[in-house]
Amino acid sequence: MGIFGGIGADKYDRQYADTFLFRRFGVYLRPHRRSVIAIIGLVMLFALIGALIPVTISAALEAMEGGGSDLFLFIGALFAIAILDYGIFWVRRRLTARVIGDVIGRLRKDAYHAALQRDMVFYDETKSGKVVSRITSDTQELSQVLLIGSDILSQLGEFIFLFLLLINYEWRLTLILLCLTPIVVGTMLVFRRLARTATRQGSRAMALVNDNIQESVTGISVAKNFRREAMIYREFADVNQQSYRINFRRGFVLATVFPTQNFLAGFAIATLVYVGASFVIGGSITAASWFLFIQAQDRFWFPFINLSAFWSQLQGGLSAMERIFALIDAENTVIQTDHRPAPELHGKIEFDQVVFRYSTGDPVLNDFNLTIQPGESIAFVGHTGAGKSTIARLIARFYEFQEGQIRVDGQDIRTFDLASYRSRLGIVPQQPFLFNTTVMENIRYARPEATDAEIEAIAHSIGGGEWLETLPDGLQSEVGERGSRLSMGQRQLVSLLRVLVQKPSIFILDEATASIDPFTEMQIQEALDLILKRSTSILIAHRLSTVRTADRIIVLKQGRIIEQGSHGHLMQMGGHYAELYNTYFRHQSLDYVEHAKQALEAEPGSD
Amino acid sequence: MASEFTARPPFKTDRSSALRFILSHIRRHPQFALSMIFGAFTNAALAAAVPYFVGRAYTTIQNGEPLEAIFPFAVAIVTSQGLRAGLQLMRNTSAEVFAQRIERDVRDELYASLLGKSMSFHDSVPVGEIMARVTNDVREINLMMNPGMNLLIGSGMFLVTPLIAALLEYPPLAITPALFLLLYGIAQYRFVRAMAPVAQDVRISFGDMNAEVAESLDGIQVVKGSATEPREREQFDTLANRVRDNFIRQGSIEARYVPQLLLGLVVAAGFTHGAILYNQGIISSGMVVAFMGQLVLFGFPVFSSLSAFSQASLGYASTKRILAVINQETKLDQNTGGFECDPHGTITFEGVSFRYAADSATVLHDASFRILPGQTVAIVGQTGSGKTTLTKLLNRTYDVTEGRVLIDDVDVREWNLASLRSSISIIEQDIFLFSRSIADNIRFGKPDATQEEVEAAARKAQAHDFILTFPEGYDTIVGQRGVTLSGGQRQRIAIARAFVTDPPILILDDSTSAIDSATEDHIQKAIWTAAKGRTTLLITHRLSQIRWADHIIVLRKGRIVAQGKHDDLMATSEAYRRIFARYEGGHAELPAQSLDDSAAHQPIPAQKG
Repeated sequence: MGIFGGIGADKYDRQYADTFLFRRFGVYLRPHRRSVIAIIGLVMLFALIGALIPVTISAALEAMEGGGSDLFLFIGALFAIAILDYGIFWVRRRLTARVIGDVIGRLRKDAYHAALQRDMVFYDETKSGKVVSRITSDTQELSQVLLIGSDILSQLGEFIFLFLLLINYEWRLTLILLCLTPIVVGTMLVFRRLARTATRQGSRAMALVNDNIQESVTGISVAKNFRREAMIYREFADVNQQSYRINFRRGFVLATVFPTQNFLAGFAIATLVYVGASFVIGGSITAASWFLFIQAQDRFWFPFINLSAFWSQLQGGLSAMERIFALIDAENTVIQTDHRPAPELHGKIEFDQVVFRYSTGDPVLNDFNLTIQPGESIAFVGHTGAGKSTIARLIARFYEFQEGQIRVDGQDIRTFDLASYRSRLGIVPQQPFLFNTTVMENIRYARPEATDAEIEAIAHSIGGGEWLETLPDGLQSEVGERGSRLSMGQRQLVSLLRVLVQKPSIFILDEATASIDPFTEMQIQEALDLILKRSTSILIAHRLSTVRTADRIIVLKQGRIIEQGSHGHLMQMGGHYAELYNTYFRHQSLDYVEHAKQALEAEPGSD
Repeated sequence: MASEFTARPPFKTDRSSALRFILSHIRRHPQFALSMIFGAFTNAALAAAVPYFVGRAYTTIQNGEPLEAIFPFAVAIVTSQGLRAGLQLMRNTSAEVFAQRIERDVRDELYASLLGKSMSFHDSVPVGEIMARVTNDVREINLMMNPGMNLLIGSGMFLVTPLIAALLEYPPLAITPALFLLLYGIAQYRFVRAMAPVAQDVRISFGDMNAEVAESLDGIQVVKGSATEPREREQFDTLANRVRDNFIRQGSIEARYVPQLLLGLVVAAGFTHGAILYNQGIISSGMVVAFMGQLVLFGFPVFSSLSAFSQASLGYASTKRILAVINQETKLDQNTGGFECDPHGTITFEGVSFRYAADSATVLHDASFRILPGQTVAIVGQTGSGKTTLTKLLNRTYDVTEGRVLIDDVDVREWNLASLRSSISIIEQDIFLFSRSIADNIRFGKPDATQEEVEAAARKAQAHDFILTFPEGYDTIVGQRGVTLSGGQRQRIAIARAFVTDPPILILDDSTSAIDSATEDHIQKAIWTAAKGRTTLLITHRLSQIRWADHIIVLRKGRIVAQGKHDDLMATSEAYRRIFARYEGGHAELPAQSLDDSAAHQPIPAQKG
């Protein structure tokens, strides 16, 4: 995460007017309107009491000097104010936390629910990490801003009350106090700007250090292998020293802020002391009132200094709100026309003059026709961009096509209830995704009602369960984040078993390209054989063995079917498939295994 | 402590405890530490000067003296605050230098210790975790010093000055501030105690919620594909509600911040006491004014010490984590007096068993084999069967638990570590290239290699041609901040890197998969060229390499279940035979294996769209 993380706009971002944002946010506040009104009342009351403190002190001082009996009244008032001030703060803060907690919670849920609703086109265009930060961090930021905002609001209220009170005592002195405010605030703003520049440079220097460390720690084994630690250390020491120098400069700028503020405050007090004294001597105010102005001095500035300090944060809160609503409002392109529940399907799939274009307008499929019989397994082959995965994604209803019709069991797929339709599909993506739980739960994922015994039976049916051997707790092993504790091959196996448990009518496999040890590979093939036997299968094949097991191979070129048939037939034809074979599959053949060494060694190399 | 690398340390720190560690760093910059403390004290004292002069001015006015008599007090206020600003600048600057230097030094120290750690350490600790120590935790130490300690000392002084001022003016006045300090201490302590578990709950529940969102959106295709949105939604709602409840709980504890009440009460009580003394004619009204002004100074610690305190404790926790890394034992040492030579490359394993730690499971059982110079050995088995571990015993990334590993019949533990490692080149599964030019990456192990040597190595590794396709050729920057290379390309550069140092032993963990056959040809050619003339250990998934290795070792659950040549294994190993049987089976069922074979079947005519 960097300083500038999240600043780059996403495609679905939009600009909302501030008034719209507030209105929209108001909807979330409406269920809490009583609390909100109470909070506003308490904020004002708190502000009034805050303003009354210096007034009461100076009145009490006067009473003390006057020697009247009302002194005790004022002393009582001081105690009462202290208790009341605390009490109101308490109630207000509690109530505010409750309202903010509820509102942010609601907003979070709405944002997350919206994120789950978005179609795959959305996730192709957006990094999921950035969506996550909208749901969690942006809402978090907003809740901080709301808290700060309520504090600043109360300080501003205090300023207004104080101003109204003071102007009754001595308007000229009030005016002087008021005039000093912009000087102090202005100076602070200048400093903030300087500090921001210095901070940016500092973070950049820091980022260099972090990059350096990240790289050398990642490559530590190489450095150790070649005994180059000393060189690596020198390089690090240089950037570290440089970061120290730049960050020190930043620190120096920040170090001047408070001294300057204190000096200005001292100057302001001295002015008040001197000018105020002249009014006391002139008889327009009492000495106690003069003291009131001196006490009031920092309360006068405080809200403005705070406001300038938190201004960028408040702005940040608004843009966070904007980002959250943009996520909630983003529109899907995949739209169902009806919500018919999908019954148990036979798995006949028909593409009828289907046209699919990217949002950029480039056509991928043009007038595409294809019928896949129930139970048939089809391997799609072709160069990258030929349209293989598009076909799979259209069947999975991840993408919306523009023209034509896709029918499953004779039924337009646009009319299905999406959830019930998808539950009939078994999809294995190229990068198998596992959830951070046990192997068992991952296999069960698509059919939560499957029993442990059922899963165990299926897991052991593959290669005699040999693949479970290397897992510490067999099926109960935790797979780690995104399955990181499992090897690539094991992850593929788990996602195939997931489909086996699910028993879908239609199986869609985007075959992985990663190389896998021959033992695990063999077990993957076994699992695949079992699935192919049961379901209509759409295979985006990268392995020669998978291509060969398919009932029919469909050769795609630029979104068109140019050849189809079995491996043997297509090889005979010597057309595009033969060319694809030579490009992608030749090295996977036994022939290659048997002859590669001699062939490649004999061939004159480029050395 | 044993270390594989020693950076000449410019200083010595005490690493026996976190506190001592911090103190030993502080002690390196005593002038700044002192200036920080001095600055904090003068800052508070000069801040207390304002109410003092205001009080004096008040008395002066009440005595009916002319305006000229007030002027010196105004001047005194400006002067004292100017002086305060100057001293404060000095203090803040010192704090900054102090904190930044400590950050730099701690990072330097931590980094040097990381370089010295054995590979067993680096294998077991994820990079992300190390990064967290080196970036966040080191930064926390900086923040612990400034603003943390700086503010803690600074606000601490503000707790003391009203008390001192009262004592100086009229000792009995000190009763109120003293009482305040006592109650404040208790209240603050209780607040921190009440807050700590809640703050932790907030953090944990937020982390859980974040993890759930990150996971389900990362796997959105699976979620959608399995139509499990309702389940994910329910799970998230539960977690989000937990975050909300904790947030509200935290809010209500924060709302009950008792020091805030004490601050209001101390002003009221202080005034009452002052008024009583005034009525008895003991002190002047100006003194009451000054006293009030000084009591208000308590506001600063009340509102700032909390964040300063938590900053300091965060820094302390970070220090502990950093020290835990620095102090982690690394077993291997450089053995500079050990055996040195240019080995022929005989590798012998004698009854080798290995486990990572005394209490963990054995990952390699009783492995024995002997490899002669120049042989190529294929090591095969499932992931987790111990293939990589076996190779790591060779260059002493790990030391055996039982048995012996010998190179040229000398136990690796008796070798000089530098000499041992420079005779073995390892090309790992995840090939790492540094963010520098391709040429510099190739000559990484031999910085003085000429451009000709580099190019010759690249040619042998089948990398020359693709390197020249980049506009910058050999000067192309690769890695994090440069051109992204494919796995196959990275692998060939790594092979070139090994060619430059020309080691007698090569270990190659090969898991790249070629997307197309031409690339596969290049990779295979590079590997066979690299294997020629040196002892080569291949961890490989490629059947052709297994098929033609001089010796094959099949591992299963950490045991060698079969070894020998291809023909031996076809005869002795059922599992091995099954792999090839599957291929031959596929082969048999299809008559048309190569392009020029002709068969009678006519392909189905392609459907035209």
